Amino acid sequence: MTDAISVVEEAAPRQEAAGVRAMRGLARRPTAVLGAIGVAVILVAAVFAPIIASFEPSSQDLAQSLRPPVWDGGDVDHLLGTDALGRDVASRLLFGARNSLMISLGAMLLGSLLGLATGLAAGFFGGRVDSLLMRLGDIQLAFPFILLAIAILGTLADRNVGHMILVLGIPGWIVYARVVRSRVLSEKEKEYVLAARSVGASGMRRLRRYVLPSVWQVVPVIALLDVGFLIITESTLSFLGLGLPPPAASWGLMLAEGRKNMLISPWLSILPGLAILVTVLSINLVGDGLADVLDPRLRKGTFRRRLLRGPVPQPVGAERALLSVRDLSVEFPMGRRVIKAVRHVDFDVRRGETLGVVGESGSGKSVTALSIIQLLDAPGRVTSGQIIFDGRDLARIPDREIREMRGSRIGMIFQNPAASLNPVLSIGHQMAEAMTRLDSLEDGDVGAASRRALRSVGIGDPERILRQYPFQLSGGMNQRVMIAIAMAAKPDLLIADEPTTALDVTTQAQILDELREITTRQDTSLILITHDIALVAERADTILVMYAGQVAECGPASRVVSEPGHPYTRALLDSVPRADIESGVKLQAISGELPDPATVPPGCPFAPRCPEVMEICQRVNPPSFTVAADHWAACHLWAPQEAEVSA
Amino acid sequence: MARAFLVRLGQMVLVVWAVVTIVFFILRLTTGDPARLMNAPGTPEEVITRTRERLGTDKPLLAQYGDYLVDMVQGDLGTSFRGATPVADAVVAALPNTLMLAGIAVVLAAALALLLGSLAARRPNGLLDRAVLAFVALAQATPAFWLAVILVLFFSLRLRWFPAIDLTGPKSFVLPVATLVITLSPVLIRTVRQSFIETMGEDFIRAARARRVPEHRLFLVHGLKVAALPLVTLIGLQLGFLLAGAVVVEAIFNWPGIGKLILDALASRDFPMIQGGVLVAAVAFVLLNLIVDQVYGVLDPRVRVGPR
Repeated sequence: MTDAISVVEEAAPRQEAAGVRAMRGLARRPTAVLGAIGVAVILVAAVFAPIIASFEPSSQDLAQSLRPPVWDGGDVDHLLGTDALGRDVASRLLFGARNSLMISLGAMLLGSLLGLATGLAAGFFGGRVDSLLMRLGDIQLAFPFILLAIAILGTLADRNVGHMILVLGIPGWIVYARVVRSRVLSEKEKEYVLAARSVGASGMRRLRRYVLPSVWQVVPVIALLDVGFLIITESTLSFLGLGLPPPAASWGLMLAEGRKNMLISPWLSILPGLAILVTVLSINLVGDGLADVLDPRLRKGTFRRRLLRGPVPQPVGAERALLSVRDLSVEFPMGRRVIKAVRHVDFDVRRGETLGVVGESGSGKSVTALSIIQLLDAPGRVTSGQIIFDGRDLARIPDREIREMRGSRIGMIFQNPAASLNPVLSIGHQMAEAMTRLDSLEDGDVGAASRRALRSVGIGDPERILRQYPFQLSGGMNQRVMIAIAMAAKPDLLIADEPTTALDVTTQAQILDELREITTRQDTSLILITHDIALVAERADTILVMYAGQVAECGPASRVVSEPGHPYTRALLDSVPRADIESGVKLQAISGELPDPATVPPGCPFAPRCPEVMEICQRVNPPSFTVAADHWAACHLWAPQEAEVSA
Repeated sequence: MARAFLVRLGQMVLVVWAVVTIVFFILRLTTGDPARLMNAPGTPEEVITRTRERLGTDKPLLAQYGDYLVDMVQGDLGTSFRGATPVADAVVAALPNTLMLAGIAVVLAAALALLLGSLAARRPNGLLDRAVLAFVALAQATPAFWLAVILVLFFSLRLRWFPAIDLTGPKSFVLPVATLVITLSPVLIRTVRQSFIETMGEDFIRAARARRVPEHRLFLVHGLKVAALPLVTLIGLQLGFLLAGAVVVEAIFNWPGIGKLILDALASRDFPMIQGGVLVAAVAFVLLNLIVDQVYGVLDPRVRVGPR
């Protein structure tokens, strides 16, 4: 049993390094470093205020009243001048930092502990405890808390630090509780926690070992931003006369008192505010930096097309091809690693032809498709090759021209039809948007064009569909809408990237047949991408099999299916359940995994999984060898004898 | 639908009731005797007793509370301890001033957030984005009361462009509104920017690009309609912040609104006036929350129409 637990624990993400990693990440951000220095200075000032300050914060000296700061004609004794009662401003600022930090840190601790306890309870016990706590939170968020704080503090005669901490700290619990709860819920469902449970790790142990580390990733960020907010709130209350009573040194109070002499000594009003600003800014800078380090989601770039530059190779491509892809390579620079998603891919698509592109996820088939229409996600970019479409190299034409081609000459439909339509715009709106740009829109009747397009994909009541929103339609219906929009432009080429993967089996076949029907009718070339070779076996003219970013095999569909040239294609075919094979034969799953696309080893990428691997496969990545007419396989099995020797 | 609305209504009534009840008891349990506070020290006891009877604070606490609730439901908020002004009149006179101030500030802050947030999101890490983020960081660390004082110092006392205090005309709005907008906007800008960046990375944006939706439509229609949704939610969550900001700004600019009314009443221990002010502020708060939720429903068809 202990062994089992330790095995499971190995599988959990390593949390020990998280703190170190966060520190290192912070150190790389100049703003965060600046913030950290600011925080350190203020902490030192607050802690050692009694030592640093040259005067008692409340010792008055009316002879020295309203002295200006040293840069404004004051003397060195009172660096930042004095207030109306002759108290030293610098000393009062130092002690103000002490009070302000004491109260806001105390309030933060109180709020975060309350929130941590309730959040953990809600997440772990679930059920009634959860709904009670969360309902309480809803009410609290709809509660004008500040009103209550003002009323409570306004009536308390002698407010002390404890009062302030209670009033400021308690309402903060809900922010922490919500985040902690959602973290607990999501961690609870993760595999390694479930596994730990199944091998008998106790609740406390699971909490300590798996859930708390994940919680620690978010709480510090919230806590930091919370402290900044609390410092401002505390000083605001002080300013209104609802904070620590005079003669306590508090930034808000200093400003309120200084304001009375605004015309004579403006610095009295300016300095305390600057102290607050610098403190909160420093804390927030550290908090933002930490959030950035811990939550890399936001670092994702947005779409930005990169033109392929450099010398243009000699024009290639058979005359008969509509699209000729030659030596296409696509890379995704990820920090220090470079993901080589597509490597030296060649293929042609003839007019009216259906090309089936087959491969498992990560084989580069979607990336290939996106690079044709030039919509690669950042930071992906085409690094070599040509994409010749009707005589133009799509990797090199200007943005304006490729924009004109998208949706008119080249259409594309995607895997998840519901996510391909804007959720808050009606179908009618989104169709009209596409229809108004049609060249074929003669009568100018957008509605009629939309209805016509929907009918062409077999939708019987277009009026109803046009009024609805994507979330009201089934996946199949959304995909029909997508096809209708794409095909209404009568494109020369339609790229369908796993168009039916998200749909159920019956709808799958229907959609594919409709797709084939409409492309045949309009004589549109179709690139049909799928991980399921059975789907394209009968529907494609040509099949292109991709593996690890390379072309493994390409040939007429009937030949590739009946006489596959590449062991990988054979493995794909063996993993397909088929009606024509008697049910005693066991399906073959392909063992092993795709190689890491960042560190491509020499030799054939399929070699580690290949049942027919030879010695040469480990050393030399095979080029495409001819299997038969129009049929190639990148496999040493097809190497002519002399080529094998020379390699 | 009707059930959900009733639950919501019940919750709103509950919140308002809780606020006024807590304030009622805290006032009476923590403050000194208002009758004694209102008379000069050394006033004969019988005068104080008479004052107490006039104010109604001689009755048992629960009886006072009962009277208070009954009167409140009938729309009678009592009479100010100072002078004989009916609280309801004072509150009704003050409320529009606060609503105008806060309303203008929210609209401007939201507009600013949409503008700066979306512009910044066009090119994350670009020059404009960095400038906007720098503004956000500074504005977020700036306390409203200090900003107000600085603005007065500069624009009223030095340049004499705008009045420093009081509501005397349209010009009076400039500084208080500027203070509120600058302190309210950073969170809004940040949210709009982030939600814009996330939205522009969504599949439906790429799909729209693939079907030749022009870039400006992509940004202004497809992006904006989705990215603006969190802004509405956030404005609802920021109402408390806005309320606090209004109190501060009203105190500094001597603005005749609800916030100043409550602060003045607190200073003079004017129980009915405090209670009246708090009640109106609480009601406005829950109503505004409700309105924000309704606006969200109008903007998001997934909420408005409901699933299939």
